[in-house]
Amino acid sequence: MKQKKIRFLVGSLLIVGAIGYLITMGISNTSTYFFTVDELMSQNVSYTGSGLKVKGNVVNGSIERDPNDYLNVKFSIEENNASLKVAYQGVTPDMFLDGGEVVVEGTLGKDGVFHANTLLTSCPSKYEAEKEDGKMHPGALTDKYQEPGLNKAEALPKTTI
Amino acid sequence: MNDIGEFTLLVALATALYGCVAYIMSARGNRIDLYLSADKTPFIVWACVMISSICLWKAFLTDDFSLQYVWAYSNRELDTFYKVASFWGGQKGSLLFWTLLLTTYMLVVYFQNRNKNLRVVPYAMAVMLVIVVFFLFLVNFSTNPFERIPLPPEDGRGLNPLLQNYWMVIHPPTLYLGYVGFTVPFAFAVAALISKDLDDGWIRMTRKWTLISWFFLCMGNLFGASWAYVELGWGGYWAWDPVENAAFMPLLIATAFLHSVMIQEKKDMMKVWNMSLILLTFAMTIFGTFITRSGLIQSVHTFDEATLGYYFLAFLFVIIAACTALIIARLPLLKSANELDSFLSRESSFLFNNLVLLGIAFATFWGTIFPIISEAVRGVKITVGPPFYNQVNVPIGLALLALIGIGPVIAWRRATFSNLKKNFLKPVLAGIVAAAAMFPVIPLGNRAEIYTYVTFILCVFVLTSILTEFYKGTVSRMGLKDESAVGALATMTWRNKRRYGGYIVHIGVVLIFAGIAGSQAYGTHTEKHLQLGDSFEIRGYTIKYEKLIAVEATSIKTRIIAQLAVERDGKRYWTGHPEKEFYKGQNQPVSEVDVLSTWKEDLYMILADFGEDESATIKVYVNPMVSWMWTGGWVIAFGTMISMWPDRLEQRRRLDRVRRQEQLFPTPAQE
Repeated sequence: MKQKKIRFLVGSLLIVGAIGYLITMGISNTSTYFFTVDELMSQNVSYTGSGLKVKGNVVNGSIERDPNDYLNVKFSIEENNASLKVAYQGVTPDMFLDGGEVVVEGTLGKDGVFHANTLLTSCPSKYEAEKEDGKMHPGALTDKYQEPGLNKAEALPKTTI
Repeated sequence: MNDIGEFTLLVALATALYGCVAYIMSARGNRIDLYLSADKTPFIVWACVMISSICLWKAFLTDDFSLQYVWAYSNRELDTFYKVASFWGGQKGSLLFWTLLLTTYMLVVYFQNRNKNLRVVPYAMAVMLVIVVFFLFLVNFSTNPFERIPLPPEDGRGLNPLLQNYWMVIHPPTLYLGYVGFTVPFAFAVAALISKDLDDGWIRMTRKWTLISWFFLCMGNLFGASWAYVELGWGGYWAWDPVENAAFMPLLIATAFLHSVMIQEKKDMMKVWNMSLILLTFAMTIFGTFITRSGLIQSVHTFDEATLGYYFLAFLFVIIAACTALIIARLPLLKSANELDSFLSRESSFLFNNLVLLGIAFATFWGTIFPIISEAVRGVKITVGPPFYNQVNVPIGLALLALIGIGPVIAWRRATFSNLKKNFLKPVLAGIVAAAAMFPVIPLGNRAEIYTYVTFILCVFVLTSILTEFYKGTVSRMGLKDESAVGALATMTWRNKRRYGGYIVHIGVVLIFAGIAGSQAYGTHTEKHLQLGDSFEIRGYTIKYEKLIAVEATSIKTRIIAQLAVERDGKRYWTGHPEKEFYKGQNQPVSEVDVLSTWKEDLYMILADFGEDESATIKVYVNPMVSWMWTGGWVIAFGTMISMWPDRLEQRRRLDRVRRQEQLFPTPAQE
């Protein structure tokens, strides 16, 4: 009876051990450091080349698209007076706008340009706005109705289906 | 009306407080007068919360923007459909909605068990009331949905366009029904611990509840995946986002619980384990709420109100501490009557299934909280993304898949070699044949493709083993009763709903595994910036950009639609219309994807951007086998229905079993 118990204990421990091993290996292989722009700039150690996630706000007017390759985008992000140049190849999300909060994932090149392979915009504005509600009184909302996107949509001729 | 809503919430809180004190005192002091008085509270609490909810719904439907919550989540032009759903569109309303579901469940439990099991039920009601009190406290004092705006604005801010999708009406309630449902088995488990009635009574009383909650949670996860797939427009359905993990972890632990209670029912084992699992499931639902409500972990759908999260964290600690203490105090009463006999047995396959499920849950949990831990320990925030979860959970998931094939057919107690040969020869052969047949046609270039190959082999193995079970049962029944094959299959399933319903659920799970494997390994995508008339090729489809249409759909919504012709083998095959919608009052457009879904693959198109010169950026995904997952979901739903269906024979079988056991081991009669 005792022996049986030990055997089951060993069997279970083996499974638990295997899972634990997978988790530790997974963490060490795939983890990425997460910084805001100013945190990244103030690090003493250089993170050039390693996987990074950086959060910041898009600098107004910094978004540049390559006229020949529409999907090639360059922009800068900033946070607390520190800024970082970012190069990104691909479709930008709907909410990628001047001043918007973004998280870029990729590597920092030797030239100081961040090469992003993913570009995430933070949560939909609604939830963002929810945070302000407590402090800001809902009244003056007029500027919310002037979106950059709509002007572009209105520039096109209208039809009806 | 709003005053009534606010007031009834307060009344509900007071009544619930009284109710839980009265229930406990009546049960401890055997006071029937107090019990009769306490027994009125579930209905009163429910009625109060219901009235309050109706008030909030009415405010939404009548555009009463003097309520801050209505202002923030609705406007005059919103569809009535979405006005109803806006109720749970934000923090405050969703907590009230949670409370409403919780009290409704409580009311059903109350009617189900009225004047029955007077030793356990009062405690279970008290436990549920404690949880109700917590939520009522929140909606009364922290996130009151009836908060007023002194000078009501003319119009509301409107519901986020991303949420204006029919899934918004289906997905959150489904998920909440699952989340909230686990309160019932949890309450009965705690009640059993308090009252020391520690046989499998609490499990039998709440089996249906566990199944229903599991079902809703499972569906909620799948609905969330399809919502993300059709609405968020990134071509995927699951991103291992903390919020998704928050719904996934309770599902895993609940699945482990569903399986291990069978061992307790049949073998009177694993009592402590089951108690811990149901406690953990419930704790995970609260933890999930904490994650989504605290903003502590970076996620795409945080609610961003830090303080509320800490109420949940505190509540979580109280629950875990109290329940752990209770389980430890009752340890002597939770001794197992039997022991595991052999590695090769049904019992141990259940044990391994539990370990594996908990393993996936733990890996997911660890990945979710890793940024917090690394920041606390090392001072640097380290995050893990989908690669981590895939790397860890895929191998464990494959082990789980194999166990689905092994568990249901391996013998109880101890499997002999001849038994193994009898049960596993066919499935293993089928697996080998499938492996050989697929080897020449399947690409095996990278790790994902090899994993997918293994998954497909295991799927064949599991399906064969399940179908053999159906086949064997049908044939033996046909031999006995002279029925037709279909008739025999139907009667057999109907007479053993739990068993065969469970098998059907397993088939659904296999389909989901296959769908995930196929879509993860063989998918492809491309992005193109196109002028009118340009075309390109992807996976044998030729896609031509034909025109850009702008439509003023309503006074607040403008739709920009790209028309894309899809040709295959030179013939026009389909016309895709991905679009972008611009809403007045929202500062971002919403992409509406267009998907052509077949059992083989989905052709998934996104209009990523467009220019004033009518050029457009189109992103196209080819996602193989995605529809298998949704089919698997329906199969799971069907199987769960069957195994939940009331079964008189099941009760008779159980009584027979109990009687047999009592003859063997005479025990003093209870009650």
